[in-house]
This record gives sequence, structure tokens and C-alpha cells, in this order.
Amino acid sequence: MQLINALLQANTTAVATATGTAADYFPIGIQLLFAIGFVAVMIGGSHLLGPKRRTADKLENFTSGIESHGTARQPMAIKYFLVAILFVLFDVEVIFFYPYAVNFRDLGWQGFGEVLLFVSFFLIGFIYIIKKGALIWED
Amino acid sequence: MSITEILFWFLSVLTLVSAIMVLISKNPVHSVLWLIATFFAISGHYILLNAQFLAIVNLIVYAGAIMVLFLFVIMLMNLDVAIEPKRSMWMKFAGVISGGLLLAVLLSVVRTSVDLTNKTAQLNTGDIGLIKNLGHTLFTQYAVPFEVSSILFLSAMVGAVVIGKKN
Amino acid sequence: MPIQYYIALSATLFCIGIVGVLTRRNAIVIFMCIELMLNAVNLLLVAFSKMQPVAAATNTAARNAANVGIDGQIFVFFIMVVAAAEVSVGLAIIVMMYRNTHSVDVNFLNRLKN
Repeated sequence: MQLINALLQANTTAVATATGTAADYFPIGIQLLFAIGFVAVMIGGSHLLGPKRRTADKLENFTSGIESHGTARQPMAIKYFLVAILFVLFDVEVIFFYPYAVNFRDLGWQGFGEVLLFVSFFLIGFIYIIKKGALIWED
Repeated sequence: MSITEILFWFLSVLTLVSAIMVLISKNPVHSVLWLIATFFAISGHYILLNAQFLAIVNLIVYAGAIMVLFLFVIMLMNLDVAIEPKRSMWMKFAGVISGGLLLAVLLSVVRTSVDLTNKTAQLNTGDIGLIKNLGHTLFTQYAVPFEVSSILFLSAMVGAVVIGKKN
Repeated sequence: MPIQYYIALSATLFCIGIVGVLTRRNAIVIFMCIELMLNAVNLLLVAFSKMQPVAAATNTAARNAANVGIDGQIFVFFIMVVAAAEVSVGLAIIVMMYRNTHSVDVNFLNRLKN
């Protein structure tokens, strides 16, 4: 128990000293640059260095010997779409939890009550979705 | 020219170019991809202004969720082949002219306004954009709008299910 | 950075969105242009939240302690959240429109007049 307490204390002090400026993003920028550069170099290198023999058979997509027909962009069923919409809404719900998690201790029971009310509204919506059968895959 | 200014001009050019590309690409899928580029550039602006939380939220909500939804809808409708009927040349011309006139009016106001002289937007400093400060204000001062937004989401959920579900 | 640059940038972005709404007929692209306009406003609000006169640049610490301008960023946060709800319902409507008319051309909606 004391260990956990000590850990929590150490954590808060570490957070408190880390004031953020845009300069703190420099390592992230380097990492991003490195990631993009690595992918670009690999793709470009294999494109440039690799041998190219373009016959009709080689350019065909590999589908385990079955002849492919049509494109990959088939119209999808409408139920995927409802799932995507509901994903966006619950995604935004999660966004609200980040600032709450950072301020969890300062806000105390009052903040907990607010978030509980917030989540309960979403829960009502979720129960409605389940009852309506919007997430059922089979027709 | 400091590195911050270089970044500002680079991000501004990126924002405007990708916004224009959203307009002029024929294929809706390309429009979505250019719009994602615009959102990334705007997130870069937020980071420059030290609004870090908003930068991340912009990426997660807009680039991560909303644009995926747009791509879903485009694939759902098989719109990747450009079947959009052309508006008449005259209508396009009128649209561009009216948008340009509005821009000219706005820019001239900004250029001549006395209230705006000697005002700067602070780059790279300030704590108000950090998640801790924003969260504290959100859950104390703005608790009621926070709860109201959950009711809005409840209604959006019900609306999407009612509109989107067959029968 | 002078605030005029940010205002000019967002005004240009907003006008690009307006031109898109006026010139395109694909409902989805029109919707994307509306998102563009929303983002232009967001950018402007964030820039305003960090605005201060040059002369007062010395009391930055005091302004930070008082959280001056935090309302602007909270407002942007709520705009983003509301935009998510708006997009979900709007795209559901567009999908219904496509299902009934097999087109996303906004001119089809003319028949709502009769």
C-alpha cells in the first residue's frame, strides 16, 4: 500500500515539473521523420533495386489460384455504417476521459458525480442501441 | 527568421494547398485524404500555439474518427469512380467570384483595423492549452455544458439509429 | 506572430470552404467543406485565446496564472465534440438519401419543393 502511495506521489511530482512547450515535441518530430523516412526509403529502395519482370500472370493479385474478378471497392452493407457512426460517438466519449484522468484527484467526489452522470447518459443510449438491435450482424 | 516563423509559414502553406486540393480533386476519396492533410497541418498550428490537448483531440476526433466515417460512406456508395455531375461553368464562376469577394472584404478589414495593430498571438508559451488546466476548467466552470453535451450525444445516437436502420 | 496573419489564414480557409459548398454538387464533398469551415473557426479561436497586446508582453506570468483565454480553447473543444455528433447524423441522412435516390447529387433535393 505504501509502495503504491509512494509511486503515486512520485508520479504527480514528475508530471508537475513537466510543463509542455512546443519544443518538447522535437523528439516526436524526429521520430515521425525517421518513421516516414524509413518507410519511404524501404519502398523506394525495393522499387528501384528490385528486378522487374512484368508479365500478365505476375501482375495479377494472388488469390490462392482462384481467378479474381471485380475491384476491392465493393459497396458495403449498411450495418457496417451504423457501427462506424456509433464508434465515432463513443470515441468522443473517451476523449472526455483524458482530462478527467489527469485531474482525477483534484476534482474529488464532485467530479466523479459529473462523470457518472455523463456516462449514465451514454449508457442509456447504449441500452437503446442494444434494444433496437443496431449492432446485430445477421439479419 | 526564427524556426517558429518558418514552421508557421510552412504549416500555413500546407493548410491552404491541401484545402484547395480538397476542392479541386475529382475523386471523393482524394478529397478525404487531402482533408486529412489539412487537419494534420491545423494540428501543427495548435502545437505551435501550445494548445497541445486540442492538437491531439483534433487528430483523434477529426482525422481518426470523422474522416474514417467519410471514407466508409464513400466506399458504401461506391463513389470512388468520379460520377459527380458537373455544375455548369457559369455556376462555378459565380461561386468562386462570391467566395473571392468575401475573402477580399475580410482581408481588407483585417488589414486596416486599428484594433488589431500591435496584437500578437503568443507562440510556444503559456500553460492554458495543457490538458491539466483545460480539464480543471472543464470539470468545474463548464460542468453544465459538459453534461448537456452528453444529452446531445444521446440524441445523436438515437437519431443515427432511427435514420440509419432499415424498417 | 502578429494576430493578423492568423485571421487572414482562417479567413482564407473559410472562404475556400464557402467556394466548395457553392461549386460542388456531391453532398459528401459539400459536407467536407463545412468541416473545413468549422476548422477555420477553431483555428481562429485558438489564436485569439493566445492573443495579447505587445506592450503587455511582460506580465505573461500573471496572465498564465489567471488562465486568461482558456474559455476560447474550451469552446473549441466543444465545437469539435458537437461536430462529431453533427457528422454522425448528417452522414446517416446522406446515406438515406443515397438509398432512396441512388445519387448524392444535392440537386436531387430540389424535388423537396413540391
